[in-house]
Amino acid sequence: METFLVALGLLLTGGAFPLFTHRLFNSMKAGYIFITAVGCLIGLYAVVLPLRNPEIMTVSWSWLHLFTLSFSIDSLSAFFLIPIFFICPLTALYSFHYMNKEQQSGRTAVNFFFFTLLIISMALVVTAKNIITFALVWELMSLSSFFLVMYEYQRDTTRKAGYLYFIFAQAGAMFIFAAFAVAYSHTGSFAFDQFARIPSAAKLIVFFLALVGFGSKAGVFPFHIWLPHAHPAAPSHISAVMSGVMIKMGIYGIIRLYGLLAVTDPIFGQTVLVFGMISGVLGVVYALGKHDIKKLLAYHSVENIGIILIGAGIGMLGVSSGNRAMAGFGFAGCLLHVLNHSIFKSLLFLGAGAVLQKSKSRHIDQMGGLIKNMPITGRTFLVGSISISGLPPFNGFISEFLIYYAAFQGLNQNGSTFILMMLSIISLALIGGLAAACFTKVIGIVFLGEPRSANVAGAVECGLTMTAPMVILALSCLVIGVLPEPFINLVFLGLRDMQGVGAVGPDIIAGIARNLAFAARLFLGILVLSTVLRRIFYMKKEVSRGPTWGCGFTLPTVRMQYTGTSYAMSIVEFFKPFVKVNTSYSGINEIFPTKTTYASRVDDVAEIGLNKAIIGPLLTVLGKMRWIQHGNIQLYIGYIVLTIIVLLLFI
Amino acid sequence: MESMLSFLLATLAAPLFPGIILKVKAFFAGKKGPPLLIKYYTLAKLLRKGSVYSTSTSFVFKMGPTVSFATALMALLFFPLAGVKPVFFFHGDVIVLFYIMGIGRFFTILAALDTASPFEGMGAAREAFFSTLAEATVFMVLILFYRMNGSLSFTDYFQSQNPITLMSPNGSLLLFVVVSMFMILLTENSRVPVDDPATHLELTMIHEVMILDHSGPDLALIELGAFYKLFFYAAFISHLLIPAKFAGGAAGGAVFVGTLAMIYVAIGVTESITARFKMNLVPKYILTSFALVTFAAILTTMGLV
Amino acid sequence: MTHITDAVLVIILLSVLLSLGSNRLKALVEIMALQGIMVSLVPLLLEYKAEVHHGGIIFFQIMILIKGVLIPWLLYMAVQRIAIKREVEPIIGYHASLLAGLVVIFVSTIVTQKLHLTLAAGRELLLITAITTLAAGLFLMMSRRKAITQVIGYLMLENGIYLTGTALTKQSHTLYVVEFGVLLDLLVGVMIMGIILHNIKDAFDDVDTTFLGSLKD
Repeated sequence: METFLVALGLLLTGGAFPLFTHRLFNSMKAGYIFITAVGCLIGLYAVVLPLRNPEIMTVSWSWLHLFTLSFSIDSLSAFFLIPIFFICPLTALYSFHYMNKEQQSGRTAVNFFFFTLLIISMALVVTAKNIITFALVWELMSLSSFFLVMYEYQRDTTRKAGYLYFIFAQAGAMFIFAAFAVAYSHTGSFAFDQFARIPSAAKLIVFFLALVGFGSKAGVFPFHIWLPHAHPAAPSHISAVMSGVMIKMGIYGIIRLYGLLAVTDPIFGQTVLVFGMISGVLGVVYALGKHDIKKLLAYHSVENIGIILIGAGIGMLGVSSGNRAMAGFGFAGCLLHVLNHSIFKSLLFLGAGAVLQKSKSRHIDQMGGLIKNMPITGRTFLVGSISISGLPPFNGFISEFLIYYAAFQGLNQNGSTFILMMLSIISLALIGGLAAACFTKVIGIVFLGEPRSANVAGAVECGLTMTAPMVILALSCLVIGVLPEPFINLVFLGLRDMQGVGAVGPDIIAGIARNLAFAARLFLGILVLSTVLRRIFYMKKEVSRGPTWGCGFTLPTVRMQYTGTSYAMSIVEFFKPFVKVNTSYSGINEIFPTKTTYASRVDDVAEIGLNKAIIGPLLTVLGKMRWIQHGNIQLYIGYIVLTIIVLLLFI
Repeated sequence: MESMLSFLLATLAAPLFPGIILKVKAFFAGKKGPPLLIKYYTLAKLLRKGSVYSTSTSFVFKMGPTVSFATALMALLFFPLAGVKPVFFFHGDVIVLFYIMGIGRFFTILAALDTASPFEGMGAAREAFFSTLAEATVFMVLILFYRMNGSLSFTDYFQSQNPITLMSPNGSLLLFVVVSMFMILLTENSRVPVDDPATHLELTMIHEVMILDHSGPDLALIELGAFYKLFFYAAFISHLLIPAKFAGGAAGGAVFVGTLAMIYVAIGVTESITARFKMNLVPKYILTSFALVTFAAILTTMGLV
Repeated sequence: MTHITDAVLVIILLSVLLSLGSNRLKALVEIMALQGIMVSLVPLLLEYKAEVHHGGIIFFQIMILIKGVLIPWLLYMAVQRIAIKREVEPIIGYHASLLAGLVVIFVSTIVTQKLHLTLAAGRELLLITAITTLAAGLFLMMSRRKAITQVIGYLMLENGIYLTGTALTKQSHTLYVVEFGVLLDLLVGVMIMGIILHNIKDAFDDVDTTFLGSLKD
């Protein structure tokens, strides 16, 4: 525990460092990155012990003589600390070349400071031990990330996105605090350990209130609206951390609360599972429909949160039905996907940031052919894409396989569990296929083919500090995919302190890990063999280059290439009832048509629903209350007096 | 040893069977048709040639054929043929295998998009869409098999104590699976009525248009991979059709090859008597196959099997 | 011989599903012919163990003839004569129809389980098939635009009722006598439908039921 605190202390010093040295732009960045990296490494080292040792370390202080602030690291906390301490230093390193505007050095320093605050608060969220502590650090996390999103505050869209995020974060926090209040009213204690004593009817309320709150942080489908706005607005390395790590805090909340409540009613698992399936499928469908590369990635976060929740839901149903393999592998797949998603999603966001910086455009239909000018970014992005599509031999497949395995274990039961397992397997298959479709779109349109604009054609590879983190992350994707054994064991270690999830036989785990590793290596071997075979076939053969065969057309232009919009349209239209597609087409009216235009936009039904059901009525009501605000300062003082009197009278 | 032998035999014999399809189609058209060994000649011709690469392409384009060939080989390595155990197998290999086929498709699509050709992009979009839907059907089949047999491996499906065949006591539900797997075979291997391998208009193609720019040994690898894939699906269906008592031995091998040939004949007949669908009707076709298997899976909840 | 019965029932379910997904009127009629034959085979297979006397055999042969040949032939002629566009023209799309078919079978499975009927062994699938066919017939009538598809939907409904009757009763031939009467009615109905359709087409140049809306005052 001391090492952990030392790490946090060091990180805090690192965060304060740029505030004093922002006049020396480059040394400020270098110093900050160095201290942060060292702090995070120490943090990673601090994680090892609690994972190995079954005894739980706790530390607590009394605060204002009213509350105790207490933190502890059990195996679950330790597991969630890994992505925090692994991803954050890499994104910090990335920011060295990414934050390259020297005239904004003051703002960069502040950004660094809040970045540190975010790291620390996330680390504290997963270690918080009681209600007050959790609420405090949760708010700290929301606020620091809000300031990070607002980095380019002079832009109108950024401010809007920032406020939207703020509202969602606060509304979500309200739900969480309401849940805690309900819990407190039954236990009379702030400690988390007392939650199991709550009567079961109240447990239901606590869980569902908190599910809404944690869900809005995690980006579960109807509560995800802030994600596709906040991610494009924030700088890319911030998006990487927010999407890769911060939204997982919502997942942590759900799993932690489930463990604390020690419930076995299937309704919990069923709800989580249904939310997971909806987020998973609709997230990827919307991602297909979006053409702003960061918005697209944001929707993929919704999708992956869906996959994670499917795993968690299956695990919970396994606990309810006493099926150990189902519970163990469900939760294991869920946790491993948390780790995997943090790796490949931050990789993809970093890649997207590099592309944005060099091509000065967000719309993928204006890019193309970037893999030739940006070979490292292109190759790492390719690795990230394969991983996020859940294809072997990369890491995304390992976690999805565990979830599949758990779901198949649940098929033996009859009734609603069978139907849910069937649906979750089908949604996983559908999500996998659609994600592959979406990322072939991104790679194919952004990195392959011919450049569609001059900026893109003139793009160059970005600096070493930007490519190095991407290479490290891409390698991690491959390592987890090809050597899954230690990571699967790690996940089961993380589950050790979870109540209710019984141990799965180590032979089964080892067997599955070995088989997965074998399949991945065998595939790589066969791939190498085929490559060699191809080389042999091409020995002493004439190989020449020429233009692409235009099917008889001899004057192709780059604008004739298939666009991302047309690539995805038929798939998006298949899901029409759930996705609103607006198209405007000028049509061809003359015999010799001159200029025709076509535009399409995909709107989020959740956003439309929110506008219709909540914001619209709220605005009408508030509009009618306008008379309260009339600008007369004396009357305002009168309001205050009146309020005080009323309060004094009634309380 | 025996497994390795059957695997090698399969890799060598796979290009033979598509010749049957051509023969059947020629018979229906009243023509003589190409020789049975036509595909071997084609492969040999392609392997002798060099290649022309488009200036738009990158290394991804060259990876496409290799990856799709490797995935097809993987599928055959894990698949039991004619009562002989496959070279490798483990509990859960079906999921791994269908995902590995996914990565083959991933690279085929990318290779198509790499050429910057609008037609190849169009084919890629269709492939991505249809194969996603087909994947749902395949996983529904896996669900049904798990209900019937409790396993997640090709070997256990077809060679365990309780093999999954149409002739088993509860085999009537498998009628659904046979029909829908045949539909999936036609979809995934770009046959009529989903795609027409013999058409001449790029606008109406799916798979053929994606590989327009490949030539020489690259094209040979793609073709060979496609033969393996077709062989895999056909073998899958023949296992469902063959009664368990015929597994193993020389007789079993003969029955297996015979059934396999019958499936290729069925493909040829289908191609001869049906027209290709309009593109917007293809999703309905695949959904039908999905619905068929789902029917069967729902019926298992009744405790009928 | 439950095995063959099951196979026949599965084929009936298959035909129900295909009918929901088919977009050609001719194909739909062909599917109905197959369904008719299979439906009339069911009681014959169920009675395999019991003694079937000659009258019964002849009766079932007539049944197959009417359900599987005569009515489809009449429908086929109607399609040939009057339908200009031989497409089904759905109000609810094919994808949604197929998924609706899945929901229907799922619900009928639950219903069969919930009813707690004392069915003879192996009759559960029969009842599921019956309810599914019945509901899918109704769905077809509801979701398709052409008058002729209404008739086909009605036919399917009748098949469903027939199967329900078979599932719920002990084997007694009186049931089939009633059924036979219904079948003759149906035959007459289809013939009359042919004449009416012809007249509708003369009046409106199409057989789209939406045009019938203009007959209201």
